[in-house]
Amino acid sequence: MSNRILLVEDDVALGQQVVDSLSQAGFDPHWVQDGDAARGLNPDDYRVIVLDLMLPGTYGMDLLKRYRVKSEVPVLILSARDDTADKIRGLKLGADDYVTKPFFPEELLARIQACLRRPNLVGTERLVVGPIQVDLERREVTTSERTLSLTPVEFEILALLARRKGSAVTRDTLVDAALDPSHDTSRRTLDVHISRLRGKLGSDATQLETVWGIGYRLSEGS
Amino acid sequence: MKLRTRLALTLGLATISLLVVLGWAQSRWHSQLRVDAIAEAAVHRMDSGGRERCEANPEHWPGPQGDRLARRHQGSSRHPGPRHRVFAYDAEFQSRNLHNPTFPPELAQQLKAGKDIASYRSADQRRTQVAVRMAWDEGPCAVVLMRIKGPPPWLSGAVLMPAFLVALVMILVALLAAGPIVRRVRQLTESVRKLGSSSEEPIHVEGNDEVAELGAAFEQSRQTIHTQLASLREREAALRNYIANTTHDVMLPLSVLQGHLVSLQRRIEAGETLDANAIVPSIEESQYLGSLLHNLNAAARLEANDGLAHRDPIDLNRLVERVVDRHRPIAKRKQIALEVAVPENMIEFPGDLTLLEQALGNVVQNAVRYNRAEGHVAVILDGADEAWTLQVVDDGPGIAEGDRLRVVEPSFRGSEARTRHPHGMGLGLHIASDVAKRHGLRLALSDTKGGGLTVKLIHAGA
Repeated sequence: MSNRILLVEDDVALGQQVVDSLSQAGFDPHWVQDGDAARGLNPDDYRVIVLDLMLPGTYGMDLLKRYRVKSEVPVLILSARDDTADKIRGLKLGADDYVTKPFFPEELLARIQACLRRPNLVGTERLVVGPIQVDLERREVTTSERTLSLTPVEFEILALLARRKGSAVTRDTLVDAALDPSHDTSRRTLDVHISRLRGKLGSDATQLETVWGIGYRLSEGS
Repeated sequence: MKLRTRLALTLGLATISLLVVLGWAQSRWHSQLRVDAIAEAAVHRMDSGGRERCEANPEHWPGPQGDRLARRHQGSSRHPGPRHRVFAYDAEFQSRNLHNPTFPPELAQQLKAGKDIASYRSADQRRTQVAVRMAWDEGPCAVVLMRIKGPPPWLSGAVLMPAFLVALVMILVALLAAGPIVRRVRQLTESVRKLGSSSEEPIHVEGNDEVAELGAAFEQSRQTIHTQLASLREREAALRNYIANTTHDVMLPLSVLQGHLVSLQRRIEAGETLDANAIVPSIEESQYLGSLLHNLNAAARLEANDGLAHRDPIDLNRLVERVVDRHRPIAKRKQIALEVAVPENMIEFPGDLTLLEQALGNVVQNAVRYNRAEGHVAVILDGADEAWTLQVVDDGPGIAEGDRLRVVEPSFRGSEARTRHPHGMGLGLHIASDVAKRHGLRLALSDTKGGGLTVKLIHAGA
């Protein structure tokens, strides 16, 4: 799929900065500086639309309404006004998220990435996280080296982490989801299961990270 | 026209109109009485020898010099009676006396219609003629005509003078009676005029009538205007204060930022090799500047007490991720691990999106800003819609227990809270505390196990 991103921003300096950071991040930005010019564009030609609200010509909110009539493309609002009503109205009109000015380019990229991630994989039968593959139907886990023999608790822990790959999951969540409530449900027990799981993952154990203050995360890889 | 004059004239005119109507009715009644009296006098006169004299000498009756009688009207002894002239006619209204006037056709018509007494008043109302058919319907004196001169009773001075006096008295009474009302209306007018220059003095009109009610209505309006003006003045003062404070507060980090940039420039000019970390203080200060502006805006809203003007369902998961993403760049540059965990299912909470985001942002910013290099900050949202906890855990220097109470004290004093503090005790945590309270949340500060600070936002039931 194309990496095209539509940026509707009238400020030249800010627009150029955003274009540069999007380009450096591997996106293909199309920058439009006027609301009227953006009206005629087909939103489905883009993966994400980054939309400023205070625009010359057509107001950003009107553009959003227009786009939402015919498209479900993710829209990220850039707002200079710290006004709750504007943000809420934007979200109710179908914006996926907003970023308040001033912002770091990394923040904008992170929010764009979050928009692109959104259709989650819940319900998918086969989860792939780097070299680790989790087959939910057959309850089987394979790594780059072999098929693992996991206990039911270890499988539940790994499946939950795989479903939310890249995100930190708290110890409490893992305890509630994977451990048998009639037996020991302490965090220490969880840590023991994690330790055994890492042992079974072998060289791929680096994918299973400990997250300070939170719990664990299964990441795609460094 | 002034109120008093208008009242007097109205009352005078009403009195005159009433007297005219009464006078007219009285005149009609007097006229009828007069006709009856004249007719009775004519019959009496003819019965007491007049008939015999008339029939004996009809050509000269009542005599060449006339039979003028100056007698008082029967039943009206208080007023001088009018003068009568008497003429005799036969049944066909013909007279034997050649000096008698022709019988008036208007009276003849009435008598022919069957009446025994007929009367007629001249167009100028100055003369009345009465014809009486006698009991005998034959001979030269069967019909007697009487002519009376003089104004009708109601136009006489005896009627007009009292009417004039009564009207005059009524006008004077009206003028006197209107005096107190006019005074009170003038007092009210004066009070209302003063509203233009000052709204402090209350409007008070004594009494229990419509003027007092009008005064009370004006007083109510004055109070409303006074309250609104006070509110506007307060807002204006708050706005001026906000602008002054904002200018002051922004100048400080801006000066620090300029200092960093100038220092960098000098180091580069001196040929010093700089690494990427050299720019971190400048970036950090610019972020602080942006955050400060948001905080000042939030503080202004909280001080104006309209902090929860917007309360909408908020996706807390998204809010937490957004705040963490905002602080990742600065955390990364400071080599601080900033992590986030949200539950798989969205937690929804009704609140003010901007204020809640600012509150959490302040806590996260402090955790990052005052942490050491290679430190840790974890933001954890856990629970469900009905009960949840949002924690910001760090392994930084923490806040002494005595200072924690000051951070979460109930009242929020803008001027004191704006002061920059080296340990994160400035505006940010005050705002977080205030926002939490306004949302019914509890803000709890505690030590992190192993060192650092843990800030918890707790939704009731958690």
